[in-house]
Amino acid sequence: MSEIRLQVQNLCKSFGITKAVQNVSFNINKGEVHALIGENGSGKSTLTNMLTGIYTIGSGKFILDGKEVHPKNQVEANLEGISIIVQELGTLSGLTVAENIFLGHEDQFVKHGIKNREAINRKANELLQQYGFKHIKAEHQIDEYNFEDRKLVEIVKATYFHPKIVVIDETTTALSQEGREELYKHMDRIRKEGNTVIFISHDLPEILDKSDTITIMRDGVYIDTVKSADVTEDDLKRLMVGREVTGDYYRPDYGEKVSDEVVLSVRNVSVPNVLEDVSFDLHKGEILGFGGLSESGMHEIGKAIFGASYDRTGTVTLADGTEINDIPTAIKHSIAYTSKDRDNESIIMNQSIGDNITLPSLDDLAGKCKLLSDKKLSDFANKFAAQMSVKMQNIDQFVSDLSGGNKQKVVLARWIGKDSDILVLDSPTRGIDIKVKQDIYQLMDTMRKHNKSIIMISEELMELIGMCDRIIIMKDGKLNGELPRSRDLDENLLISKMV
Amino acid sequence: MADKEKILSKEEELAKASRMNKIRTYLPVVGLVAIFALFNFLTDGGMSSQRNLTLLLNQIYVGMIAATGVFFIMTMGGLDFSQGSILGIASIAVCILSQYGIGIAIAGGVVAGAVIGAINGYFYVNRKIASFIVTICTMFLFRGFIKYMASDSPIRASMDVYNFDHIEIKLPLMLLIIAISFVAFRYTKFGTYLKAIGAGEKGAMFAGIRTDRMKFLIYTLAGAMTGLAAFINIAKNGSATANVGNQLETQILIALVLGGMPISGGAKVRFSNIIVGTLLYYVLYSGLTMMGLTTQTMQLIQGVIFLIFVAVFADRQSLKVIK
Repeated sequence: MSEIRLQVQNLCKSFGITKAVQNVSFNINKGEVHALIGENGSGKSTLTNMLTGIYTIGSGKFILDGKEVHPKNQVEANLEGISIIVQELGTLSGLTVAENIFLGHEDQFVKHGIKNREAINRKANELLQQYGFKHIKAEHQIDEYNFEDRKLVEIVKATYFHPKIVVIDETTTALSQEGREELYKHMDRIRKEGNTVIFISHDLPEILDKSDTITIMRDGVYIDTVKSADVTEDDLKRLMVGREVTGDYYRPDYGEKVSDEVVLSVRNVSVPNVLEDVSFDLHKGEILGFGGLSESGMHEIGKAIFGASYDRTGTVTLADGTEINDIPTAIKHSIAYTSKDRDNESIIMNQSIGDNITLPSLDDLAGKCKLLSDKKLSDFANKFAAQMSVKMQNIDQFVSDLSGGNKQKVVLARWIGKDSDILVLDSPTRGIDIKVKQDIYQLMDTMRKHNKSIIMISEELMELIGMCDRIIIMKDGKLNGELPRSRDLDENLLISKMV
Repeated sequence: MADKEKILSKEEELAKASRMNKIRTYLPVVGLVAIFALFNFLTDGGMSSQRNLTLLLNQIYVGMIAATGVFFIMTMGGLDFSQGSILGIASIAVCILSQYGIGIAIAGGVVAGAVIGAINGYFYVNRKIASFIVTICTMFLFRGFIKYMASDSPIRASMDVYNFDHIEIKLPLMLLIIAISFVAFRYTKFGTYLKAIGAGEKGAMFAGIRTDRMKFLIYTLAGAMTGLAAFINIAKNGSATANVGNQLETQILIALVLGGMPISGGAKVRFSNIIVGTLLYYVLYSGLTMMGLTTQTMQLIQGVIFLIFVAVFADRQSLKVIK
C-alpha cells in the first residue's frame, strides 16, 4: 500500500444556506493520479478550491503529509506545495510569460527592492526549454500566444517547483488533442516523481485511462473511492448519477440514407488568419460534424454560418437563395447557434430564464401594435423550459444560478421555441454531465428525424463518431477530409487527419 | 435526505434574494413618502402647500423627461454626463428659433438635442470609446459653446413661449411622454432588448439584437427627449443663460439611483425607478431649500445620500458590465 499524501477529514462548505460540500472524508496517496468525478454541482471543484486557497475552508481539515494546511490564497497554497491548473484561462493578460510563471513568487528575484527582470526571463526560459515548449519565449507578452500555448505556460507555472499536489480542474475539455497529450505527459511525470495529481474531468474514458484511483461525489456528499482497474465506465456512471443509466447513449442507427436536398451551402468562405476557402453543403435531416484541433478554424465555421464572423468573405446561402451575412438575418431565416463560449455568447447570464428563452422570438410573439403580453411570454418560456426539462424554481430565476448543463438546456429551449430548421451547435456538450449529455444526444436524434439539419462542431471525437452522418475534419483553417457515418470509424483515424 | 436539504436551502436562498429585490423595489417608495412627511412636518405643512406643490411640479417636468432618456441609456449599461449641456444647447436653439415660430422652436430644440446625442452615439459605438468618457468630453465641449453664446447676455426667447407655460399644457405633455415610454419599455421588445444589452451585450448580439444600431439610436433618442424638455425649460424661464442646464446630468443620475435603479443597468431595472427617483430627488431638493440650507450644504448632503444609495443598490455581480 502506498503512503498517504493528503487526508481530507470531515470537510464542509456552505454558500449561504446551500451546502456545497458535506462532511467529506477520504485519503489521497503519493505517486498517484487521483480522479475526482461527479455531475455538475457535486462539489468537486468546491473541494479543490478550498485545498488551493481559492475558497476558505468551511469546517473540517486537510492534512498534507501529517500536517494540517489551510491556505488563505493560491500563493500560500503554492508554498505548502499545492498548485492548480483551472478550466478557463489562468494566466493574466498584460504580463509577460515569465511574469505569469513567477506570479506571486517574484521575491526570489528581488534585490534591494529592485526586480531583476533578466534573471526572471533567464529562469523562465530555462524552464520552458526543460518542458520542451521551445516556441514560447519568456520575455514575450502572454497575449501573443493562443489559448493552447497559454495553457502550456500554466502547466509550467503550476508544476515547475515540484509541488506535492497538482490539481487539474477540467482543463482537458478546453484543450485540443495535442494539448491534452502534452498535459498527460506531465501528469505522468508528476506521478513518477512520487507526487500527486488530483484530476477533475467529465470525460470518463479519459478518467479510466489516465488515473489510478477515482473518488466519486454526488450532491456535495462523498460516495466512494475505487481503483480505476476495477471499474467500467458504466459503473462510474451509476455511481455518479445514483441510478442505472439506460438506453443508447448515441444514436443507434447506421446506414440510413440522408436526403439529397441541400438546405445550406457554404462557398469559398474565408476569414483572415482563421478560415481559408471553405465550401460545403448541408442536407435536410443531416447531422454534419466538424472536428479538428481547437485552432483549426472549426469554431469559426459556426460563427461564419450564423453571420457572426468579422471580416468574412465568400457566401453562405440558403436553399431559397437568401444570403446570410448578419445574425438577425440568420435568425430570421431559421438558423440557430449555440456558442462554445456559452456564458458570454449563447445566453445572457444576468437575465431571467424566461427572457433568455423568448428573446429571439419576441417578434413572433408580439400581438397587435407590436405589444407583448406577459402571459403569452411566460407561457411560451414555461412550455419550452418544460420541454427541455430545465431544473429551475421558475422562469424568473436568473440563468447565472444554473449549472452548465441547465444553461445549455435554456439555450436549446430558446432555439426549439424559435422552431429553427438549421442548428449550428458548437461544443453542445462541453463541460456537461452524462445525464444532460444523453438528453442532448436524444434531442439531436429527434430533431434529425423531424428533418431539421444540424451542424455539430466538437472537440470530443467520440460524440462526432456517435452522432454524425458525415464528419468533416479541419486543419489549419482548411477542410482536410470527410468521413461518412460508419461503425468502423475510430478516434485514431480522425486524429490522423487532424494533425 | 441530503437532496431534500439541498433543495430546501436553495429555496431559502432564493427567498433571501427575492427579499433583497423587494427592498430594492419598496425602499425608494417608502423613502419618498417618509421624506415628504418629514419635510412637511419640519416646515409646518409648507411642503404640501398649493404654492410649493406648483413650484415643485415646475421643477419636475424637465428632470422627469430628461431622466427617461437617460434611464434608457443606463438600462443598456451606458452612462450620459452630457445631458446638462444638451439641455443648454437645445435651450439656446429654442430661444433663437422662437422668433420664427413656436413649431420651429420646438423642432429646433429636439433636433439640436438629437444631434448631440448622435455625436455621443457615434463616438461610443463607432469609435468604441467608453460612454462616460465620450459624454464627459461632449459635456465640456458644449458647455464651452454655451458660455461663448450666452456669456455677455442671456439669449432671449420670443414672448410667445410664455403662452405655453401652463400646467394644462406641460403636465399632459410630460404624462404623455412617460406613458409612451412606459408602454414601449414594458410591453414591447424595445424594453427587453435594452435590458438584454445591459445584462450581456455579446449574448444580446448573438440572440439577434442589432446592438450597435440600438445603442446609437438610444443616445440620439435621449438627446432628442432632453431637447424637447428644453422647450418646457424656456417656456418657464424665457431666456437661456450661460448656466442653463448646469448639473442636470448629476441630478438625473442621483434621481435614478435614488429611485432604486442599479447603476449597471440590465435585467433588474424597473420603469418606476424614473418616476419615484425623480419625485424623491425634487422633494428632497425642495425640502432642503425650504429649510434654508445653502447651496454648498445641499451639495454636500446630496453627495452623501448618493453615495449611500449607490452602496446599497449596486448590483456587484454585474458591475463589470458598465460601459
